[in-house]
Amino acid sequence: MDLRSVFAPRLVAHAHCDIPCGIYDPSAATIAAQTVAKMVEKITGSTGTDEASRNLFIRSVAVKEEHAQICKKELLILWSDYFKPEHLEKYPKLHDTFWKAAKLCSKNKQSVDAKAAADLQAAVKEIADIFWATKK
Amino acid sequence: MRPATLLFRVAVAGRSMEPTFRDGDWLLVRSVERPPRPGEVVVARDPRRPERLIVKRVHDVADGRVTVQGDHPDPAESTDSRQYGPIPAEAIVGRPVLRYAPLRRFGLVR
Repeated sequence: MDLRSVFAPRLVAHAHCDIPCGIYDPSAATIAAQTVAKMVEKITGSTGTDEASRNLFIRSVAVKEEHAQICKKELLILWSDYFKPEHLEKYPKLHDTFWKAAKLCSKNKQSVDAKAAADLQAAVKEIADIFWATKK
Repeated sequence: MRPATLLFRVAVAGRSMEPTFRDGDWLLVRSVERPPRPGEVVVARDPRRPERLIVKRVHDVADGRVTVQGDHPDPAESTDSRQYGPIPAEAIVGRPVLRYAPLRRFGLVR
């Protein structure tokens, strides 16, 4: 007879944080960063001066602003709520990575800069990669 | 759910009681025989789902209402009285007395 099964408890006592970890997901930040890049493209490529073009231009700027903010908010949720001290031990540059990514969100609000948009996408991807690595 | 026996065993699931208990620790639990005291660890029925057992530390006892909290230093790691308020003293089913597995963590529960 297996000793383990003799001594194994039949009851479970839960010592949990009940918030299902599944609700954390870097996808929202990733999509927001992609949207910012797409809007930078639209703004840069917009040359028309007619009303429809100006409308599209202004909408693109507004959406860029909005999604840069969404990206920042989603990153903050991951940073403050999902990541734990033991993750930091394993990824010592985590704080720096988040800080730089948040700064890039701001930079994308302030400017129309394809490089800043690409940098933001790369920074979010780096965070997403770390996130998924902690899920393994 | 309260076992009639004097002693029963539970397996800890989750990390809210770290460093006292880790996920997967096996505990010998003494069935409740007196009112809880602040500072001791208890096994209780989850106030939101009575079929489920929880293990937490008693922080305060007042008028039959027991405030329980996880030991984990990060409050985000524990769901306890800070979210669901104090639990009734009757919800407590026992006190862990011995951590018997893994063997390298064998010891009395404090």
